[in-house]
Amino acid sequence: MTDNVLVWLNDPQNWSGTRFTPGIGAQIAAHLLYTAIALLVAGAIAFPLGIVLGHTGRAGWLVSVANGLRSLPTVGLLILLYVMVSPLISGRGDAPYLVPTEIALVLLALPPILANTYAGVRNVPPDARDAARGMGMTGPQVLLRVELPNALPLVFSGLRSATLQVIATATIAAYVGLDGLGRYVYDGLASHQFGQMAGGAVLVAALALLVDLVLALVQRLTVSRGVSGRFSRRAAGGDGRTAAVTELTAGSGEGRERGGNDAEDSSRPVAVLAPSGKHPPG
Amino acid sequence: MNRRIAMALTGATVLLTSLAACGESGSSTSSSGSSGSESSAAGGGDTIAANLVLGGPPEFENRADGLPGLKDVYGVTFGEFRKLDAGGPLTINALKNGQIDAADIFTTDPSIAANDFVVLEDPKDLYAAQNVLPLINTAKATDGVKAVLNAVSAKLTTDDLIDLNEKVINEKQDPAAVAKQWLADKGLDAAGSQAAGTDLTVGSANFQENVILANVYAQALQAQGATVDTQLNIGSRETYMPGLQDGSIDLIPEYSGVLLQFFDPKASAVSSDDVYAALPAALPSGLSVLEQSAAQDKDAIVVTKDTADKYGLSSIADLAKAP
Amino acid sequence: MTSAAGSAPWDLFGYFADHRGQVLELLWSHTWLSVLPVVIGLLVSLPIGWLARRYRWVYPSVVSVTGLLYTIPSLALFVIMPMLLGTQILDPVNVVAALTVYTVALLVRVVADGLAAVPDDVMQSATAMGLTRFQRLRKVELPLAVPVIAAGLRVATVANVSLVAIAGTIGIPELGQLFIIGFQLSVNGPYYPPIVLGIVLCVLLALVLDGLIVLGSRWATPWQRVVAAR
Repeated sequence: MTDNVLVWLNDPQNWSGTRFTPGIGAQIAAHLLYTAIALLVAGAIAFPLGIVLGHTGRAGWLVSVANGLRSLPTVGLLILLYVMVSPLISGRGDAPYLVPTEIALVLLALPPILANTYAGVRNVPPDARDAARGMGMTGPQVLLRVELPNALPLVFSGLRSATLQVIATATIAAYVGLDGLGRYVYDGLASHQFGQMAGGAVLVAALALLVDLVLALVQRLTVSRGVSGRFSRRAAGGDGRTAAVTELTAGSGEGRERGGNDAEDSSRPVAVLAPSGKHPPG
Repeated sequence: MNRRIAMALTGATVLLTSLAACGESGSSTSSSGSSGSESSAAGGGDTIAANLVLGGPPEFENRADGLPGLKDVYGVTFGEFRKLDAGGPLTINALKNGQIDAADIFTTDPSIAANDFVVLEDPKDLYAAQNVLPLINTAKATDGVKAVLNAVSAKLTTDDLIDLNEKVINEKQDPAAVAKQWLADKGLDAAGSQAAGTDLTVGSANFQENVILANVYAQALQAQGATVDTQLNIGSRETYMPGLQDGSIDLIPEYSGVLLQFFDPKASAVSSDDVYAALPAALPSGLSVLEQSAAQDKDAIVVTKDTADKYGLSSIADLAKAP
Repeated sequence: MTSAAGSAPWDLFGYFADHRGQVLELLWSHTWLSVLPVVIGLLVSLPIGWLARRYRWVYPSVVSVTGLLYTIPSLALFVIMPMLLGTQILDPVNVVAALTVYTVALLVRVVADGLAAVPDDVMQSATAMGLTRFQRLRKVELPLAVPVIAAGLRVATVANVSLVAIAGTIGIPELGQLFIIGFQLSVNGPYYPPIVLGIVLCVLLALVLDGLIVLGSRWATPWQRVVAAR
């Protein structure tokens, strides 16, 4: 089987493409485009919302509702949205396929970003917040200078988790007739070419890892060393690789149980380090 | 601290926009695959087909009777090809809503009549005959089972298929109920004991017509005393054929032409009789086909009425003409 | 038994009434396809997680390998499995095996981190009380790690319910087939009932399984209630 994959990956025609089939490079670009759109939209909604909710400490139930989105089956959602949207769009182009796909991917990316941003801002040590107030900072100043920098590792963990999920799941774009690396998976399935199918899967995995690496780098450059604890190696929060606290605890509607315990007991290393806090690869 | 936030936000924005930009440029170079019909149409040549977008199942691009067949037999090359599904909702809706101009769909699809689609004639027989017939595990094909299924095949017509599909797909009736009604109408539901003592699992592919036919086979056999299990909606031929060979299913409704093509990709038979005659030799040991019905469900190139009128199309050959 | 129900989303009840036997069968197979991988995954993850905790050098490689596994699209894994296992392509074992891979990928790290979160003084007290290493693991470390492991189980289970549905696109009978049926019947206008019914049942299944894990975790950690009551 490995042979099949290697043969497929080594075939120059798969990279250059043919008259009706874009090459691998173009499919990767399409895959990244679907991913980027979904992350931009999800980020534009979830970052501000998470910051506001975390800062004010109100409406935490919204986070739980967003977490409930995780249980939606993405294929079902995609088919539902396609069936709803496609009759409304006529004429050439990708719109009838792109709109349902992007909505499904945005719904996938929302929960981790929102939950982690919320938990990040929420879990800022109260003494740090008090000290900032004591220094005479206004609410917005506290948010901007204390809460956000402290929340950044968690925010990144959420973003990275969302990115991985979206890249893995953007595979289903091909199920409704779009391009992207999922094309190889579905085409391989339709024509019984497992080398192609597995090759597509390998490319998706490689792309996800590469993008995660880039985000880890950005995280390393931007998170204050005082926060990431890179001064002392023992600190559990860790550097970019051991992404921060958990999306698990932050994520799975644990608000009640956590609120009382972990948030105050900051000496306890927040244990559940989600591996980039994954949910389902599509 | 403030500066760090700014950096983080700028970093993230730069990353995301560069990803987006990279995607944008990438997808425009790949436009022939999905969008941007104008450019490729302009470069596509001076035939009618070069101005049109074709939609079909993913494997149509390389299938012998797909794009290569259209080119070799009719000299037809479409301006674009969009990978959708095998005559399913993606393809039908795309044709209806103008994402594509022509489609590879199946002749018994009730959407053809419902939407005034025009089926282009196939004078050079690019598409082989596709008579419905039972593909069965030879060990289970007792004389009684054969008699029951042959009686079904003797009554089944292409119009029946269209009518059965119409009831299930458009009127949302239950496939089992539709099958039952058809058997009653044809007088095939009388109880008997022809197939008594046999125990079969009937499978179906994952499209409605096949599900209905599997129900017809299953109920006809049941009425004649067989013990029948069903496993419906199994997927495509690539998925259910191994199941048939390892005995997890015993019987499935098949189509003569594709079945022959599946086991003998080089097969050249096109007429109903030739395909049927070639089948026994092509099938793997342990599988056999029973008598074929007159009912056919073929691949066809179908266009909207507007497109047919605009270019004066009635045959696939017309697509190779100058606009 | 003609389907009297209409095509609107809320006709899912009528659809359910018309296809009760079939839908319940799909729901049942969806349930065990989601749960079995979590059970097997947990059994596999406990020793690996313990190793990763016990031998520090194992941890980074375990984290990288499991992270890698998680990026493989599930559909591809479902179809590649028969080649790795020698199973039939229609065999539900493929789905169980593929989802077990994801579950292990998620839980190994959770287990290791959960064990690591047991405070040092607790461990020292246990040692001082004369517990052997195995007793310490069984009586102290694992029970204390339960809340963390349970959180991981919840994520894995909810994820599995959603992932199992994808196997419907390749013919494994479970709730995903309702999406496929609805999709096929949406040729001339949308036909919502099976699609919406499938989504609703998936979400309900995820909620119920999630609730069961929460209950199980509470039951296994009685001291937490004491703390909460104080």
